[in-house]
Amino acid sequence: MPITYYKLPNGLRVILYPDSTAPTVVTAVYYRIGFRVEPRDRTGFAHLFEHMMFQGSRNLGKMEFIRLVQANGGVLNGSTRFDFTNYFELLPSNKLETALWAEADRMQGLAITQENLENQQGVVINEVKSAIHNEPYGGFPWLWMPQYANSNWYNSHNFYGELKDIEAATLADVQSFFKTYYAPNNAALAIVGDFDPAQAPQMVGKYFAAIPPAELPSPPDLTEPRQESERTAVRPDPLANRPALAFAYHMPPRNSPEYFAMGLLDQMLVQGDDSLLYQELVKKHGYTGAVSGAINELGNMFDYDGPMLWTTALFHDAAVTPAQILSSIDAVVEDLQSKPVDQRLLDRSVTKMRSSLYDIMTEFGGFGRADLLACSALFDDDPSRIDSLEAEFRKVTPELVERTAREYLRKTNRTVLLIEPGADSADADQEESN
Amino acid sequence: MNPAEIAEPRQTPPQGPPPKPFRLAATGDFTLPNGIRVTLVPYGIVPKVSVRVFVAAGGIHESAGQVWLSKLNAELMKEGTHTRSAGQIAREAAEMGGQVEIESGSDFTSVGGVALSDFGPQFVALLADVLTAPALPASELPRLKADLLRELSIDRSEPGALARERFLKTLFPDHPYGRMFPSEADLKGLTIEDVRTFYGRNFDAARTHLYVAGKLEGDLRQAIEDTFGGWHEGQAAPDLPAHPAESRSLHLIDRPGAPQSNLLMGLPVAPPSSPDYIALDVMNSLLGGSFASRITSNIREQKGYTYSVHSQIGTRRNLAYWLQSADVTTAVTGPSLREIFYEIERLRQDPPSASELEGIQNYLAGIFVLRNTISPDAIIGQLHFVDSQGLDRSYLSTYVQKVMEVKPADVQRMAATYLDASKMTIVVVGDQAEIAGQLSPWRTA
Repeated sequence: MPITYYKLPNGLRVILYPDSTAPTVVTAVYYRIGFRVEPRDRTGFAHLFEHMMFQGSRNLGKMEFIRLVQANGGVLNGSTRFDFTNYFELLPSNKLETALWAEADRMQGLAITQENLENQQGVVINEVKSAIHNEPYGGFPWLWMPQYANSNWYNSHNFYGELKDIEAATLADVQSFFKTYYAPNNAALAIVGDFDPAQAPQMVGKYFAAIPPAELPSPPDLTEPRQESERTAVRPDPLANRPALAFAYHMPPRNSPEYFAMGLLDQMLVQGDDSLLYQELVKKHGYTGAVSGAINELGNMFDYDGPMLWTTALFHDAAVTPAQILSSIDAVVEDLQSKPVDQRLLDRSVTKMRSSLYDIMTEFGGFGRADLLACSALFDDDPSRIDSLEAEFRKVTPELVERTAREYLRKTNRTVLLIEPGADSADADQEESN
Repeated sequence: MNPAEIAEPRQTPPQGPPPKPFRLAATGDFTLPNGIRVTLVPYGIVPKVSVRVFVAAGGIHESAGQVWLSKLNAELMKEGTHTRSAGQIAREAAEMGGQVEIESGSDFTSVGGVALSDFGPQFVALLADVLTAPALPASELPRLKADLLRELSIDRSEPGALARERFLKTLFPDHPYGRMFPSEADLKGLTIEDVRTFYGRNFDAARTHLYVAGKLEGDLRQAIEDTFGGWHEGQAAPDLPAHPAESRSLHLIDRPGAPQSNLLMGLPVAPPSSPDYIALDVMNSLLGGSFASRITSNIREQKGYTYSVHSQIGTRRNLAYWLQSADVTTAVTGPSLREIFYEIERLRQDPPSASELEGIQNYLAGIFVLRNTISPDAIIGQLHFVDSQGLDRSYLSTYVQKVMEVKPADVQRMAATYLDASKMTIVVVGDQAEIAGQLSPWRTA
C-alpha cells in the first residue's frame, strides 16, 4: 500500500495509509513531547498533562470528547512515552471527519478549570497508586530500570511522577506546557484505515491548517555517556514475596547496523520458547518459569528516539541466587561474543522478526501502523522507513551479531536490578555500584 | 480571553456520511468423522494465520483437592510429544514465525498459536501432534510444579487477585468455578498420574472445536483431516451446572497500610442464551462498562476517587454474572461504595434518556465491528463465545439490530430485575484499620 506523506504550511506532518480490510479508521495525533523532557520540579507532568487533553477544549466540554467518540461507535486513548505523547481514536470509517474535527479542536487550545485539574490530579495519583504503590513488583522493571541504568536526568528521573510533584501542578503549568509543545509544527497526524486518500487532505486542511505554529524550544541534550562499569541496584519490595531479577544493556544508536543486530539478538535471546535464555534459565536450570524482555518496554524498538535500554526480567525463588542466574546468562552471552552466530539461528530470528513486524503493524485495528508512521515522521521525517525495516534485518550477518554482542552485551554496559521480597525497610531506594 | 471568542457559538461536530455496510467474515464449517468441529475464517490480507483448538477440559473438570491440575496439564503438554522434544517443537514453531501456546481456563484448554500463512498446514500438523500425542514426561513435573508454586505465591500477593478469589468463592461455594487458587499443599501433592488421568479423561475429539482465521494459504482442510482425523472420538463433556449464590455478603480482606481499597461487587445475571442478555449488555455499558458510563463518570471523572474502575458481565458455560470493580483511595472507600450503589439504584428507579441510551447503542454497534475485525484472534473469540454458549451463529448477525431495539424502559427493567443490591456479594481488600468503619453501612444485619 502506498504511504502519502506531506506537511501543512504550519508544520503539521500528515501521513495517510489506506487499508480497506475493515470499515474502520484510526486517527492518531502524536506530539513530540515525551516524559523525558518535563520540568525538573514537576516529575510526572507530561503524563498528567496527557490527562488534561481529555478535560475540555473550545467546542468540547468535560467528558464530551469521550462521549463523542463512544457515541460514534469508537474507542480512544492517550499515552505518554519516552519521546512522544499520543492521542488516538479507532472509529467506524465514516467518522473520520468527526475525529479530525475533535483532534483539531484540542490542538487549537484547551479550556481547563482548576476543578478539572484537581479531579485529574486525583485520578493520576490513583493511577500511580494502583500501578506502583499498592502493587507487588509495581514498576518492575519498566519504571525503575531507567532510573538505575541511565545517568542523564532526562532519562533517569521518575517519569510516572513523585506524588508531591503531581499534587503541586498548577493551571499555569498546564497552559505553559500546552503553549510550548502542543503545536502543529511539533506534531504528526496519521490516518490508517478505510478512507479515500484523495479526499482526506482536504478534510485535514479544513480543520488543522488554521492552527498557528509555535516557536519550539531547542531540544535538550539527551545523550547518555558510555557505561564503563556494571551497576547493581537492590530494591526491597515489602509487598512482594519472591525475588525478581532484571538486567538491561544500553542500546546501539537507532538505525545503525548494530541496532538492527540487537533487534535480532533480542529475538534470539529472549523472544519465544525457542530463545536461548528461555532454554537456559527455564528449561535447563529451572530458575524461573518465564523470561520476558524487550527493547523499549513501553512500546517497541521502532517507536522511540533517544537513548534506550534492552531489558529482560524474571521471577525466581529465594533458593536460587542472582549470582547463579547471572552466571548462566553470562555463559550464553559469552558464546555469542566468541564466534559468529549459527546461520540457522540467525535465519530463525529473522523469521520471528518478520512475523512480529506483521503483528506490530496490525495491532489494534491498524493503530500499530499509525504509531510507527507517526514516529518515523516525527523522528526521521521519513514514514516510508517502516517499509524497509525487514530488509535492514536481512542485512545482518553472523559477524555483525558477534561484534554487536561484544560491544553492547558487555558486562560493563549492564545494569542489574534485584527485587528483595518482603524486606522490612522504609528506605526503598538503595543503590550499589560495583 | 477575548470576549468575542466567548460570545461565538460552539461548533457542533461534523457527522460524516452514513456508515458503510458491515458484513461478518464468512465462515466455512465442517465436522470430522471423529466429531471435531472445524471453522475456517478467511480474513484480511496480512500473511498470518491463527489456529486455536479449544477442548472442553478446564478448571471445571478438577476435583476439590486438584485445583490447577488443568494448568499443570497445560504446562506439561508443552514438554514434548512421542516424536518431538519440547525444544524441537519450540524451534519448529519459531521457524514458522509462531509459537505453540497452551492455556487452560475455567471451561476449556486451548492449544494454538499464530504463524506465517506460508506455514499454515505445517503449523496445523504441529499443533495436532502436541494436542493428540503429548508425552507428559514425569521428568519435567518437579520443575513445572515449582514454577506453579512461584506463580501462585506471586498471584496471591496481588490485591486484585485476592478480591477476585473471594468473590468467586462466594458466588460459587460448591462448584469448581469458585476455586481460583489451590493450597500449596494440594499443588505440591499433584502427581504425574493425576496429570495423565486428567488428560486421558478430558481430551477427546468429541470435546474439540478447531478454529482457523486469517489469510489462509495451502490446503488447510486436508491438513486438518490428515492430522486431527485419527484422534479418538471419546465422549462429549459432562454437564456440571453451577448454581451461583444470590445473597448479600460483605467481605473485608485486611491489607495493612494499603493506600487503596480494591472493591468488587456483583451477582448472577441471565445467561447469554437468555432473551434478556443483550439488553443486559446495553445496561452494563451504560452503567459502568464504558469510559463514558455513569459509575466511571461519577467516581473517576467527577470525584477523582479512582483510576481503575470498570463493570463487566463475566460468563461461564450457561451462566453470567455482573461485576463492578474499582481501586479507590483508602480514605474514600465508603464514599466510593455509596456512589456506586447510588448509580445502581438511580438506574433501577429511572430509565435513561433516549439520547444517553442512543450513545451507548452506537458505541456497542461500533465495538461490535471492532470485535469482529480487529484481529483473527478476535474473530475466533467471538465465534468461540457463541459456539461454547450453545448459541446460534445468528446471535452475531442479529446482535447490532437487537442492541438498537433496546428501549430506555428495558435498560431500567434490566437494572431493576437483576441488580438488586440486597443480593450482591461485596469484597473489599484494604487497610482494615482505616476502612472498617467506612464499610459499616453495607454490613449485613
